[in-house]
Amino acid sequence: MIPSTVPRPPAHVRRTQLFVGALAVAAVVLFVLALLTINWPTWARVQSGLTRNVAPLLNGLVRPDLKTFPLAWRSMWETFHMAVLGTLLGAVLAFPLSFLAAGNLLGGRPFAMPGKALLVGVRTFPEILLAIIFVAAAGPGPTAGIMAMGLHSIGFLGKIFSDVIEGIDAGPTEAIRAAGGGPIQVFLYAVVPQVLPEFASNVLYRFEINLRAAAVLGLVGAGGIGLPLLQRLQFRRWDEVSMLLLVIIAFVVTVDLISSRIRRRLV
Amino acid sequence: MPEPTPLGTPAPRAAGAPRPPLVARLRSYLGLGVVAALAVVAYQSTNFDLASLFTGAADFFSFFGRLAPDWSALRIIWRPLIETMQIAYVGTVLGTSIALPLIFLASANTALDPISMLVARVVLTILRSIPDLLWAALFVTLLAPGALPGIVALTFFTVGVLAKLGSETVESADPGPLEALRAAGAGRNRTIVYAVWPQVAATMTSFILYSFEINVRASVILGFVGAGGIGQLLYTRLNFFDYSGVGAIVAVTFVVVLAVDAVSVWARSKLI
Amino acid sequence: MSHIAFQDVEVTYPGGLKALKGVTLEIPRGQFVVIVGLSGAGKSTLIRTVNSLVVPSKGDVAIDGASVTTARGAALRRMRSDIGMIFQTFNLVKRSSVLRNVLAGRLGDVPAWRGVLGTFPAADLAFAHECLARVGIPEKAFVRADALSGGQQQRVGIARALAQKPSVMLADEPVASLDPPTSHAVMSDLKRIAREDGITTIVNLHFIDMAREYADRIVGMRDGLVVFDGTPAEATDRAFEDIYGRPIDEDEDLRGA
Repeated sequence: MIPSTVPRPPAHVRRTQLFVGALAVAAVVLFVLALLTINWPTWARVQSGLTRNVAPLLNGLVRPDLKTFPLAWRSMWETFHMAVLGTLLGAVLAFPLSFLAAGNLLGGRPFAMPGKALLVGVRTFPEILLAIIFVAAAGPGPTAGIMAMGLHSIGFLGKIFSDVIEGIDAGPTEAIRAAGGGPIQVFLYAVVPQVLPEFASNVLYRFEINLRAAAVLGLVGAGGIGLPLLQRLQFRRWDEVSMLLLVIIAFVVTVDLISSRIRRRLV
Repeated sequence: MPEPTPLGTPAPRAAGAPRPPLVARLRSYLGLGVVAALAVVAYQSTNFDLASLFTGAADFFSFFGRLAPDWSALRIIWRPLIETMQIAYVGTVLGTSIALPLIFLASANTALDPISMLVARVVLTILRSIPDLLWAALFVTLLAPGALPGIVALTFFTVGVLAKLGSETVESADPGPLEALRAAGAGRNRTIVYAVWPQVAATMTSFILYSFEINVRASVILGFVGAGGIGQLLYTRLNFFDYSGVGAIVAVTFVVVLAVDAVSVWARSKLI
Repeated sequence: MSHIAFQDVEVTYPGGLKALKGVTLEIPRGQFVVIVGLSGAGKSTLIRTVNSLVVPSKGDVAIDGASVTTARGAALRRMRSDIGMIFQTFNLVKRSSVLRNVLAGRLGDVPAWRGVLGTFPAADLAFAHECLARVGIPEKAFVRADALSGGQQQRVGIARALAQKPSVMLADEPVASLDPPTSHAVMSDLKRIAREDGITTIVNLHFIDMAREYADRIVGMRDGLVVFDGTPAEATDRAFEDIYGRPIDEDEDLRGA
């Protein structure tokens, strides 16, 4: 043991260590506090739920009910179509908004503020909340779900679009202007070509997210595979649940694969 | 509509300059065609009512008018709101502690062996393809309604969210230090702790914070299927058509979500 | 008995590339061997068979009579911990402090969780600082590795290898990323430490003059085979032209500085 010869870390390193350590301790304390104060169900209740459900669940999961397949397939396609329309709606509406929210075109920062605020506001609402409102306003069905997704996607896509626009290279814009081009030429020939691949890639990414979202929108009556699934969950028809889950997983995984492959080629 | 420009091709073309190769142009037209066809099919199969976008929008805004918050509802809001945050936090912590070892198992440069790597990847892919609310609905049925199924649901959901982001980060780690550590006789654990973890820690922490943001949003709505938190209250208020109560809940939730986001975004900007 | 023994070592990479075509060498304890040759001659592959980062498809490499090539798992890791290695690109964890990088070479017996928490045994800490002092940068211990110059980073690489208390040191093009004066400083550090500790050292080098200056023995490789093996005095320009398979100009980059 020769601890006396070991140099002590300099003050700023010790401060960082202390800070990180304090944060870690705080995180653990918060976690323990949460565990202690959460309103846990009684163990007896959990146990009875588990003993009643686990065996039938596993039994049903390994034996997907084939008769449910047509329904699962049909509702999953509807879900898929909802996600397509919701994403497109969001993309089409986000496109003009993002140019408003970007600080480097159309008059600059002061104009960008309200656009940015709008985008943040829309994004904060979970889409299922929007779906509830749309179901209340426009009646149940896919239309409500599509609108909810569309509106929510505006926030996400608009934010990313405007980031992309703010990051474009000013060179081509200047070049077009120097060659005597007006704002429309600048837009068509300098801005759009630069941002289009990024836009397309992010629209695809949002589509992946929306497909998952669309699968649960049915829980509030907004169309898609969510409603039949919820019903079968409530009636504990595990074999039918299993088939619906299988179709969802297969669909989502396939779409992810295709979409990520296209995205890799785009950017 | 502007003339569709081939993706990624610099646009201004001087007269007489060579046009982009035919294949590239065809491909981008084909892409647009596929999207258009999909849109048409989807439009018909869902009976999407574009008109209701306008009539519905009118309803939508009049509906918003009825949401004028009734602040006396705050009395009953704060408790479930705290539960919501607890669910999000505990779910994130548990999910992270399950996700981290799985991520190292599923990444090619830190895997144990090809078989366990494949298994880990398949498990993560399946976890990732199931949405948050579905997990909640499943566990509410399986366990009992309340915070517990919410926590379990978010735990699984977090594993799915972190897995993909995490293993991409781990796999893109600089292989040099890994080789150095292996050359010095380090086993897998020591290689991860000394060569991989220091490289990915900042990014990973940022991802964990990000998944906490997502979980806070998700935990707001878990209650719709009975998995505890503010969502349960929101759902009953909605069913009772108590719109001013709904307005208060939505407003408070909005503020809390924004606050969590702001703190998390700030913390993430400090990390990089 | 020789310290390191290559016995008819062949390496065929997946894809069919034959990097080594039968190399037999005996290296006595404490010798400072420099391997020269063009890139692609098999120098890097040869050096990596010593710690089994590359496993020979035929033949055997032994240290003190014990085969590294057939060792697996914990036994291989134990043998590797006795072999220090230095890399062209330093291979430091750039975001970690210098001290932590050095400690990474030290802690074969320390459980991984101590590394997570950063609570290292005092004796290991003291030794890591000592290693840094030996390469002349004791004051850099708490600096992040990516804040150092190339030469300093390579010194950290040497300190990390020293922290293993190795009996064998491998250096794969240790100065190829450095400017000439720094290269000489790093090479003389390496040589001095090898002398002082009696470490058997194998260095891959590109530069002729540097090989002549520092080597006890020069091994020339071409196309997967040993084509020269002798003292620096025997390694005439003529011999080098043979190794490189072409004439050497006075101002060519192979000469170094």
